[in-house]
Amino acid sequence: MKNRLKVLRAERDWSQADLAERLEVSRQSVNAIETGKYDPSLPLAFKLARLFETAIETIFTEEG
Amino acid sequence: MICSMKNPAIRRYMFRLMGTLIWYVCALVVSVGLFAHIHPTGALAWLLALLPALGIIGQLAVFGLYLGEETDEFQRNLQIQAMLWGIGGTLAFLTVWGFLEIFVHLRHFDLLLVYPLYCGLTGVSLGLVKMRYR
Repeated sequence: MKNRLKVLRAERDWSQADLAERLEVSRQSVNAIETGKYDPSLPLAFKLARLFETAIETIFTEEG
Repeated sequence: MICSMKNPAIRRYMFRLMGTLIWYVCALVVSVGLFAHIHPTGALAWLLALLPALGIIGQLAVFGLYLGEETDEFQRNLQIQAMLWGIGGTLAFLTVWGFLEIFVHLRHFDLLLVYPLYCGLTGVSLGLVKMRYR
């Protein structure tokens, strides 16, 4: 799954560590999600959406 | 296996793990000492033989508790993947060794080495699994 986390993060001038702290996860988790190596669960995806005040589908899109 | 002491689930895991390790060492010292000096038999011998094993079973239970308490789903996923590789690797190793014991008379594999083998394979697997997500 593709995502716009890096862009959304950059818009707020947050580092991966900043986002990790807000999500209460490790920086490695943010990196794995951001690089598309790990797809988050629905609860974590909703948490991201709430944090960026947007809909899940504007953060994550299907590949291909 | 597990790192980052900032995580409260990991702190609890390490605290409980230390408890099981202390139990294991104390139970082993007591069991070995009593078997050497009073040569227990019957129910007491069974009890003393099982005491150190409770420490190892406790370690598995403590890891289960950690998995239940870990709120970082990605980290939990990494630990579970490593554990599955550890279990699979241990079963594969023992199966191969078993056949070698039967057919080429390789020396008997000491069952007390099974748990350290599992821990070692799980630890190596965790490193490899983490590399995949770099």
